[in-house]
Amino acid sequence: MDVRDTYRHNVLTSGHRACSGCGEAMAARMVTDIIGPDAVYINATGCLQVFTTHNQQSAWQAPWIHSVFANAAAVASGVEAAMRANGKDTPVVVQAGDGGTFDIGLQCLSGMIERGHDVLFVCYDNEAYMNTGVQRSSSTPHAVRTTTSPPGRLSEGKHHLKKDVISIIAAHQMPYAATATVAYFPDLKAKVEKAMSLKGPRFLQVLSPCPLGWNHDAAQTIQVSRLAVETGLFPLVELEHGAVTGVMRLARQRPVEDYIKLQGRFKHLFGSKGGAVEIRHLQALADARIRRYGLLEADTEWTTDTANQVQRRGRGGYARVSKGESQ
Amino acid sequence: MSRLSFEAGSSVAYHTGDWRILRPVYKDKWPPCSQTCPASEDIQAWLALASDDQWQAAWRKLTERNPFPAVMGRICYHPCELSCNRKHLDSAVNIHGVERYLGDLALEQGWRHQPLNKKQQTQQVAVVGAGPAGLSCAFQLVRRGYPVTVFDARSAAGGTLHSGIPAYRLPKNILRREIDAILALGIQLHLDTRIGEQRSAQSLQEEFAAIFLAIGEQQPRIYTGNDQSGHSIMSGVDFLRRINQGEPVKMPRHVAVIGGGNTAIDAARCARRLGAEVTVVCPQDPHGTQHGHPGAEMPASFEEVIQAEAEGVRLSYRLGVSRLVRSGEHLSGLQVARVDQLHDRHGQFAPKLFEGTEEFLSAGLAIFAIGQEVDWHGLERLRDSEDSNILIGGDAAGKPRFAATAVGSGYQAAMSIIACLTGIPPVYEQHEKAEVSINDLNLSYYPQSVRQEGGVVADRLHDFDEVITGLDKTAVTHEAGRCLSCGVCFQCDNCWHFCPDAAVIKQDAGYEVDNDYCKGCGICAQECPCGHIDMVT
Repeated sequence: MDVRDTYRHNVLTSGHRACSGCGEAMAARMVTDIIGPDAVYINATGCLQVFTTHNQQSAWQAPWIHSVFANAAAVASGVEAAMRANGKDTPVVVQAGDGGTFDIGLQCLSGMIERGHDVLFVCYDNEAYMNTGVQRSSSTPHAVRTTTSPPGRLSEGKHHLKKDVISIIAAHQMPYAATATVAYFPDLKAKVEKAMSLKGPRFLQVLSPCPLGWNHDAAQTIQVSRLAVETGLFPLVELEHGAVTGVMRLARQRPVEDYIKLQGRFKHLFGSKGGAVEIRHLQALADARIRRYGLLEADTEWTTDTANQVQRRGRGGYARVSKGESQ
Repeated sequence: MSRLSFEAGSSVAYHTGDWRILRPVYKDKWPPCSQTCPASEDIQAWLALASDDQWQAAWRKLTERNPFPAVMGRICYHPCELSCNRKHLDSAVNIHGVERYLGDLALEQGWRHQPLNKKQQTQQVAVVGAGPAGLSCAFQLVRRGYPVTVFDARSAAGGTLHSGIPAYRLPKNILRREIDAILALGIQLHLDTRIGEQRSAQSLQEEFAAIFLAIGEQQPRIYTGNDQSGHSIMSGVDFLRRINQGEPVKMPRHVAVIGGGNTAIDAARCARRLGAEVTVVCPQDPHGTQHGHPGAEMPASFEEVIQAEAEGVRLSYRLGVSRLVRSGEHLSGLQVARVDQLHDRHGQFAPKLFEGTEEFLSAGLAIFAIGQEVDWHGLERLRDSEDSNILIGGDAAGKPRFAATAVGSGYQAAMSIIACLTGIPPVYEQHEKAEVSINDLNLSYYPQSVRQEGGVVADRLHDFDEVITGLDKTAVTHEAGRCLSCGVCFQCDNCWHFCPDAAVIKQDAGYEVDNDYCKGCGICAQECPCGHIDMVT
């Protein structure tokens, strides 16, 4: 056990091989430390699995299973059923990337939710297949450059739109589905805790910027994640049994240029006529999402300003490591 | 361990620290408020304690450098707020409001100053002048165990704080109680003792191991035009002293005050309270009209000018007195003219008037507040001494003439005296730290908030009661909480939450970077709200 830090369990600890500034490692560390080490983690194939278990060295300090790409939800269903058969109520948590959720794992996930397994499914959404070299996924936003959607004479990056997976999931009439991102820790914490307090299938989509694939400075991970929310491109919402029950109100709407100009994956949009059209298209998409969820006028506990606000001695942390464990 | 090792186990065996180019370093900086505070108060520290409801600790931190919080919270021109980084975000923190609240709370609760150590020194120190500089020096020395005797020529302690500042800005009982709290540390005070008259300078030199001269500038500069003698002319200093000592002063209907400094404004507001129609003849331009030429704008505090105007004081700018107009003995007014140049070619203040622009200003009393000088009478021997154990401070040491500067000067004098007496070089506890600008802060983490101001008493021309009311507890907590804590960690946990590599380890107080694993992404430095973290090679 690595117990350098007595203020958090470090379920995902040091020595993993994620790139410098990795948003997914950051998100996974937050989520798993809020849930704690007394859970079974099932990890679909993807960046998170690859960089945390390199050369037979595991960065996980909790029970952890690697499934194949497609069947993480199915494995979790089995683990949950086995727990239930043995009279245990250990939480079961699936972690998958957007590939393992939006594309390859979608039918297993749908089945798991339909059967009502008591599992939390966390999708770390970095909007492409990053560990294999940045190929487009159905989560990749419109007009993004990836290695399989290169911009050029006939194209301004990915032609299709980002799949609205949270609506697909929520359409299962399940207890809880929410979106979160790394920039707003108090919001992320409240959502994970709410999800853990409920029974049945639950789903969390956590936007996790990728400095390599999104081509932004490693130090800008949080800023990019914050701007995704503040522009309206990534609304933070909560859905219960299919109905929207909570959103994070935007204190002010920022233009999408603020968000895309930080990222190399949108660089081709600047300085060309076609690019300008796509920027307008992205702005229209952001506006549509803001209208759809009422992000500017919703009556909410938090706004993007107050969720950001810092406080002396922090705004909540994780369960502390007990003395018995640290010895 | 080699990168290619295949030994099964925990990944902590693999040190990712060697991927790094830059590493984060936690470093306390020196916020601009403290940097500009003439008394070098650690403002951020006591604001932090106040926002945490640790009121007494906040007061103790504040009085480490300034034993006059209730006084300075009222009268200081607060350069701290002018430099506050928060002004770029919304408006500066109301630092003086919090300071005043802490000072008043200490007086109300009867908190007592504590000596810093129990060790009693034997070398006696004399302080000449019981003003802010002298008392500040005595306070620092006596807290460090030195027996101090303070001499003052007047019959009340406080120096210019007592004789120069009207009661509507600084109530006399606040000043007296704050001075009493300082004297309670065991300072001997001899009032009505002018060195050179009641006591000789020589006897002081023989009796005391060190002397601090903080005699202020009490000698008014006099008008050198025509007819300087005669009735109906007064200096601002004398006028204020008489008002502050409660002497009756008869007011004519029209009063002219000449000068653009705080003494002029104080005299004008006092005369207004005594029922006169007051015009200030100010040689300089108004505030905010001469950017980049601070010497061309009137030196009085802007807030005081606003108050004076609200009270009906007329201000006429860029005017100088060309001569006094008398009918017999009686002063009927002033002949004033437009000012051409304020300074001569040596940079000395010497207003030159335009010919042909004269106008008449009716006045039965002319109050000249055109500066003060040091009255060295009887102290020349000490002034000219080459001994290193005789120091000069406060206003007597030169400009700028602000109470907070005097307090800071008293602190430095105390440190120098201790250095001189012990032979150990002075420790000023001065930070050698980088300043933090607005660009070093991450403003995403500070939502806008409205500055709370003290109230203004509406009906105020009939008496000398205090004009500005203090903040209440809620407002003070709000203001202290608005501090951005520039450059000083307040444990918001951002670096710790956001580290993707578990390389930031939370400690009971603060954080530590585990350089074995830090990949140097720089997120901690980028997301540190207050600019506490630097990325270094």
